[in-house]
Amino acid sequence: MSILKCDDLIMQFGGLAAVNHFSLSIEAGTIKGLIGPNGAGKTTVFNMITGNYKPTSGNITFFNESITGLKPYKIVARGMARTFQNIRLFSNLSVLDNVLVGFHHKIKYKLYDAVMRLPRFKSEERIMHETCLQLLDRVGLKDRAYLKADELPYGDQRKTEIARALATGPKLLLLDEPAAGMNPQETTDLMYFISEIRDKFDVTILLIEHDMRFVMGLCEDVTVLDHGEKIAEGKPADVQKNQKVIVAYLGEPDA
Amino acid sequence: MNKTRNSLLTIAAIVVFFIFLWYASTHFNKYSIRIMNDVAIFMMLAVSYNLINGVTGQFSLEPNGFTAIGAYVSSLLTLTVAQKHAMFIIVPMIHPFDTWHLPFLAALIVGGLVTSVIAFVLAFPVFRVRGDYLAIVTLGFGIVIRVFSTNAISLTNGALGLKGISESTNLWWSWGWAVFSIIIIMRLVNSGYGRAMKAIRDDEDAAIAMGINSLKIKMIAFITSAFFEGVAGGLLAHLITTISPTLFTFFLTFNLLIIIVVGGLGSMTGSIIATVMVVWGSELLRVVDQPMHIFSITIPGVPGMRMILFSVLLIATMIFAREGIMGQREFSWNSFFNMFRARKQR
Amino acid sequence: MNFTEVIQQLVNGISLGSLYGLVAIGYTMIYGVLRLINFAHGDVMMVGTYIALFAVTTFLLPWWAAFILAMVLTAFLGIAIDTIAYKPLRKASRISSLITAIGVSFLLENLFLVLFGGVPKAFPIPKIFAGNFNVGGVILPVVNIFAPILALVFLFILLQLLHHTKYGMAMRSLSLDIETTRLMGVNVDAVISLVFAIGSALAAAGGIMWALKYPSLNPLMGILPGLKAFAAAVLGGIGDVAGAAIGGFIIGISEILVVALFPELAGYKDALAFLILILVLLFKPTGIMGKNLGGRF
Repeated sequence: MSILKCDDLIMQFGGLAAVNHFSLSIEAGTIKGLIGPNGAGKTTVFNMITGNYKPTSGNITFFNESITGLKPYKIVARGMARTFQNIRLFSNLSVLDNVLVGFHHKIKYKLYDAVMRLPRFKSEERIMHETCLQLLDRVGLKDRAYLKADELPYGDQRKTEIARALATGPKLLLLDEPAAGMNPQETTDLMYFISEIRDKFDVTILLIEHDMRFVMGLCEDVTVLDHGEKIAEGKPADVQKNQKVIVAYLGEPDA
Repeated sequence: MNKTRNSLLTIAAIVVFFIFLWYASTHFNKYSIRIMNDVAIFMMLAVSYNLINGVTGQFSLEPNGFTAIGAYVSSLLTLTVAQKHAMFIIVPMIHPFDTWHLPFLAALIVGGLVTSVIAFVLAFPVFRVRGDYLAIVTLGFGIVIRVFSTNAISLTNGALGLKGISESTNLWWSWGWAVFSIIIIMRLVNSGYGRAMKAIRDDEDAAIAMGINSLKIKMIAFITSAFFEGVAGGLLAHLITTISPTLFTFFLTFNLLIIIVVGGLGSMTGSIIATVMVVWGSELLRVVDQPMHIFSITIPGVPGMRMILFSVLLIATMIFAREGIMGQREFSWNSFFNMFRARKQR
Repeated sequence: MNFTEVIQQLVNGISLGSLYGLVAIGYTMIYGVLRLINFAHGDVMMVGTYIALFAVTTFLLPWWAAFILAMVLTAFLGIAIDTIAYKPLRKASRISSLITAIGVSFLLENLFLVLFGGVPKAFPIPKIFAGNFNVGGVILPVVNIFAPILALVFLFILLQLLHHTKYGMAMRSLSLDIETTRLMGVNVDAVISLVFAIGSALAAAGGIMWALKYPSLNPLMGILPGLKAFAAAVLGGIGDVAGAAIGGFIIGISEILVVALFPELAGYKDALAFLILILVLLFKPTGIMGKNLGGRF
């Protein structure tokens, strides 16, 4: 079953098309890679899907409902979460609080419950804390829960960011260059981490990545973007042999 | 177990403090009581101001404008009908406002509510666009409220201001409200709403991407601040009994800015400590405005020197000691006891 | 109002607007490159007029030399403020530099209050600006003609600089992305200093013309024009230099016209710019020029 569909998306900035006639479909439970040279428009695609940009034209459907032009926080409530290219944690908050923020949209207690410390507030906060600690346990960060986010080593910051996204309860997780800035060992660990997450949390994953070893080893399906247009799609091994893709990455053979 | 102990300790501390207030109200001289009232009102203002600036990270310059609204609204409501008729000599007050009269507490609350409504009207266009503009809009509002209170004579009595406001604010009222506002704001900060506010402060785009409706959360913070600032304005008016358009200058906001910065942006404990320091300190600093005699040399006092020192203090804190006294830490009984334990071990 | 009055008021509004525009350019440029509302900008304007005053009265310089000197010294003041107060905070959170800017504003105001007192000082108007033009029966003060012309000349020079020189390119690229610009080998600090220098010099020019129009100086004179100029910058689309000038004209003209048409509202005229600011934020937050600052991802 396809959970996310992008139909003929166009995104223009001041007359320049950053993304042009882009279509995409993701099957539930898969890990899909979105690759392409620098400036190909990958992050722009992410920003359209998550609601940060309103596409100039085209349509995005999530679970058969249109989410085009919805505010980002409303799209999160429908079951989509993301991470950022350059890690963006709440640096002054603890790891636990970072993850708790991910739960925010599920909070049912009202302002007066919080201010008067009514039972509804207390029980909901307690359950939320427990769930959060469990989540941190599952991703192997439990012993870091009370550290400030910016005190963590780089790899754990990346994991925290993914845990925070998981806390929102997503069906679809968008990862923007998760392996950026990591050494080969960390990258390998992250590959296992992401495929584990897919199984443990039953999420579908769309990721942008430059590290080809990472994409080829992890993704079941790859879409290649160049100059804002889709130039290839398919199994990683097939895409790798595609002449257009080779040209996009390495330039014309004669040049 | 610790939780029960801590709440009991908090209640005990508050009880001890109010016993002290009772002692102060019967034994202290008028000047000391006045300073204690000032400290309470400033504390309430500082904690509210810190909620929007320090916790939510939205730079705002609203306190002088908002206390002015609270002061005017509550005073106009507590003044008796006869007083209003006697006072509005240039232009009579517009009907039906001249016939309204409320008891002190109700007037304070109405003052707070009116301020909240105005906060909503100001902040909605700002937060929808970009938080940066909040500072300039609130700064401008401080000026507009002066223009308005000077010119809308049939509502505010213009430049003459309001006189003979009942001297209702005493230590019980001022400290009661201060403690109440601190408890409410602390509870707000220590809830999911407060977490969302801090998330917005640290990275608004990321907070939105995590499902937070940032417009709503920022509004909650700003409107809560506004309510307590309005009430504080009412308390202030009923302490000094005479208000006029020139009373609520930017200096008030500037003082509060120093308090929350020196205390540590985002730390309520820091604001509480810094309020005592700054209110007291500025009483002590009055000396620099007056001539000084050191041995046989007389240094002529420079009026306004205090303001210069304050400005330099603010800039220097921002550049060299951005954390202030408390950073973003808060007082807690656990850390209080840990401090002693750590000392014993040494 | 008859035709003559309309023309007089319109010219008056245009000249007032050109002052706001000159001050607004500094706001918009500094916001453009640093995303910082420089609250001290109105006070920098005030300092500029005081320098011109002392250059004329104490150092007895001819008016043109005094004005140039004031612009140059105010430019250095702008650079100094940035270097001392804002530069150490570039990497800190946005709120830190905004708070510092308020501190600088308050410091300048109170320093001048202590040094020169709160009593307004008269600004000597040079003879050539004192008279009136008589254009077909319409009496127009020389200042009101001179101010907009000067503002447009400055605007023209600035736009040439921005679009046809290396430094201008650096400034424009800075407003898009500081880090990338730095990576491309541009001396970012030098360019930011230049922005402060230009903005402050133009504020001084605006302030001097303000003094020619309303020849009474006091240390708090920068607050209101500063605020109105900021409203002008937002109206013109923040970050847009030509927009700032146009925003200034609109605010100046509407202020004069509102007072001319509804004399009973004269007391509220200082609130008008604020009202315009709120309305712009509500309905056209990118300003009338519709400039989009784009995403930040």
